[in-house]
Amino acid sequence: MGPMFEREENGARIFGFFADERHLDENGAVHEGMLMTFADAFLGSAAHRGAGGRSCVTLSLQASFLAEARAGDFIECRTRIDKTTRAIIFVSASFSVGGEDVMTATSLWKVLGER
Amino acid sequence: MSSKQVDTSGFGAYAGPVLRNDEGAFIFEIADHHLNADERLHGGMMMTLASIVLGSVAKETAAEKAPGATVRPLSLNCDFVSAGEKGDTVEGRAEVTRATRTVLFISGELRVGTRMLMTATGVYAIKGPDET
Repeated sequence: MGPMFEREENGARIFGFFADERHLDENGAVHEGMLMTFADAFLGSAAHRGAGGRSCVTLSLQASFLAEARAGDFIECRTRIDKTTRAIIFVSASFSVGGEDVMTATSLWKVLGER
Repeated sequence: MSSKQVDTSGFGAYAGPVLRNDEGAFIFEIADHHLNADERLHGGMMMTLASIVLGSVAKETAAEKAPGATVRPLSLNCDFVSAGEKGDTVEGRAEVTRATRTVLFISGELRVGTRMLMTATGVYAIKGPDET
């Protein structure tokens, strides 16, 4: 999938990757499954931090596809922890190319071992 | 029962091979390269599989309405009901909930036998052959 990049800006985790030929669908756009795979990785990483380093598993992930991304695009993902409870973490994110949003995602994560 | 391979060109090839049996179900066997670090079916792989199943049904429905029409995903929602293990044979199914002139609502599921792995719903825009 990679390489993937990660940095912190004003407390928010920002991730990024370059889309290349491997990530495309038959129409030459980045495959929605690929984008959701990155969403699972990036939002999951944010959830893991939000849970204080405990393991989390995906309960639900919803993605909206605002525009198509192409090979060569640098796709940036800004994550936000919306709510943390003892057992559940709510994480949302926007994916953008050059400042234009290509995908937004919201997700629910279960903190393993908590109830 | 006969089956044929589903077109998973491009990125979809990482999720493949995906077969389609003559009942219209999508069949997928979980192999080593589909697993995450916990030796379970990777979440991204499961969502990619759901997007192939729902997207294929959407594409077929659009093509039936207007030859040459294609679809573009607007939204996909995936719920992770249970985990998939190596060697499991996953069966995927999807149906059209509603079709308007420009939009398709698709609902589907991935299961191993009677165990549900994922339920998914998707909204797709229909693009005519003359649209870009």
